[in-house]
Amino acid sequence: MPLDTSAYSLALLRVDGRRWNELRRIHAQIRTQAAADGSSYLEMGHTKVMCVVNGPSEPGPRRGATSGGGSGGGQSKNAEVAVNIVIAGFSSVDRKRRGRGDKHILELQSTISQALAASLHTHLFPHSTINISLHVLSQDGSLLAALINAATLACVDAGIPMTDYVAACTAGSTSTYAANDEGADPLLDMNHQEEQELPGLTVATLGDSDRVAVLVCESRVQVSRLEGMLAVGVDGCKQVREILDRVVREKGIKMIQEGTVERGVGLNDMELD
Amino acid sequence: MPITILPPKAFRDQPPRHSLNHDSDDVMSDATSDSEDSDSQPGGVSLDGGATIHPRKRHRSGAGAAASSTFTKRPKTNAAINSIPRSAIVTPGERITTDPQWMRGHGTYLSSASLGEQAITSSLAGIVTRTNKLLSVRPLRARYTPEVGDLVVGRIVEVQAKRWRVDVGSTQLAALPLSAINLPGGILRKRTETDELQIRTFFAEGDLVVAEVQQLFQDGGAVLHTRSLKYGKLRNGVFMAVSGTGGGGGVVRSRRQVWTLESANNGGPIDVILGVNGYVWISKHVEPVVPEEAKGQTGITNLEEVVSATMYSSQNDRIEPETMREIARIRGVVTALVENGLRVDEDMVTKGYNEAVELALVSADGPEDVYLGGERGEQLAAALTAV
Repeated sequence: MPLDTSAYSLALLRVDGRRWNELRRIHAQIRTQAAADGSSYLEMGHTKVMCVVNGPSEPGPRRGATSGGGSGGGQSKNAEVAVNIVIAGFSSVDRKRRGRGDKHILELQSTISQALAASLHTHLFPHSTINISLHVLSQDGSLLAALINAATLACVDAGIPMTDYVAACTAGSTSTYAANDEGADPLLDMNHQEEQELPGLTVATLGDSDRVAVLVCESRVQVSRLEGMLAVGVDGCKQVREILDRVVREKGIKMIQEGTVERGVGLNDMELD
Repeated sequence: MPITILPPKAFRDQPPRHSLNHDSDDVMSDATSDSEDSDSQPGGVSLDGGATIHPRKRHRSGAGAAASSTFTKRPKTNAAINSIPRSAIVTPGERITTDPQWMRGHGTYLSSASLGEQAITSSLAGIVTRTNKLLSVRPLRARYTPEVGDLVVGRIVEVQAKRWRVDVGSTQLAALPLSAINLPGGILRKRTETDELQIRTFFAEGDLVVAEVQQLFQDGGAVLHTRSLKYGKLRNGVFMAVSGTGGGGGVVRSRRQVWTLESANNGGPIDVILGVNGYVWISKHVEPVVPEEAKGQTGITNLEEVVSATMYSSQNDRIEPETMREIARIRGVVTALVENGLRVDEDMVTKGYNEAVELALVSADGPEDVYLGGERGEQLAAALTAV
């Protein structure tokens, strides 16, 4: 079903009733799987993903490697971030079968792996691997952004040191490339329908700063529109970061309340001396 | 209905989060948990601007920053549940201080706050702890980090020429050198080439061992030893993994990690080993068998000699069903403790076990009922926390 972009200029509302600068509902949980080191569940609108982090841990004996009592000096000094994405067959409207070597999934995996490897303090864990397993349960646009956010939350839950959250969201433009409309408004957080028709990009930033960690644009868009899209995207990332931060904080406070973790020195207490 | 929408300006000109927040706050407040909504915001929808919703205040990198408060203060919001301020925990990327008098410890890193100024920043979600002038962040949950002297339970995952590689739930495999075990035929014997060839007869892949951390490498790897009668191969019991020292409940470092518990219902004595790494071993207590001919000779060395002969056996002894049942009950107690976020140590397990025996007496299935999940577990935890 083609997206009726002509209606936007009348009421300035998008197909799902949002304005140009509104995020969809973001709901997130951490520590959803007791057996894993870290886990999270994240919904951005109808895009639903689940993440499980295992590690950092040293992989057991490698198959084919000679067990000659080597000191393992050949292994890297930094932890490797291995990302594995599974897209459930029922996640989208058309039941597409994606194989293991699907190029689209491989690209998502390497993008997330590189973005997280840059933020995580991998130098603290030599010869080890951080396994991030992502499961897509439902797709409605902004898939890469949702995956990055879920992976960040799960890494926080796993207690892996990191520079800052990597928060991601998407931004688009109100009219198609072909329309060549100079006055097109940028859009925040695109859903599936919008992603099909309109130009868009995924942007992830490092925490509160304006440092862009991931920028993926797979559609044609006039360069004059790009700046606006990017600005809206970066600002959206900051909102996403606050939401993720709140999820982590609430979980932490709940744990202190339950007595699982004893209270530390509050920052305000330290000021006394 | 005319709605004016301002075109986006260049990003630099915008004050941080203002143009977007107005309309999107009601969208975002959906994401807040129920507890926050129900506590402070009756409608569940916040109409305020970004300031109250986001209590994080950016550190001002002005000239007066060093002179005035050196800590990033966040106003205590009423959103915090039951008087625990949101500042009780820090999250990744949060500035802790820019004051140069503090040293940074684990869980923190230095980031450049402004020109020539370094800020100690948290890299974990956790709580700030202070040791004199050292600031560190203890994570809410993390993998076990070995320390010298820790008693750990581990599983052999790899056999190499002169050592074993042991999974102790840490970020790296621990090493157990052949020279650090009690070799059969006398204590403190030098290892020989024959021992090297027979390395699999001592420990093979999949075996469980209880050991002590002897030494740490620079990169955090641990070296174990089992040079005591307390340590060695584990038999006659059940293994379970809970979260260890380092975050979020589970086993805590305490005075005694190993003890023998006299069980109820004719179960006999049961050994419980709580590895600091969160691996737990619960087994039937077996007195070391001293053969008749060795009884006459005295001396501790002889005892060691005799015991070490059976030390590396993988054969279980006969275990009575009553003992098995009580082992299962203790296991249920530990699981219930972990599920309800209580610490696991000698005191709690012993108390919990006694409580579980009482619970079983009043249950419909009688003392044979070892189920401690769900409501039973909560009941058990409630009884323990009430004392």
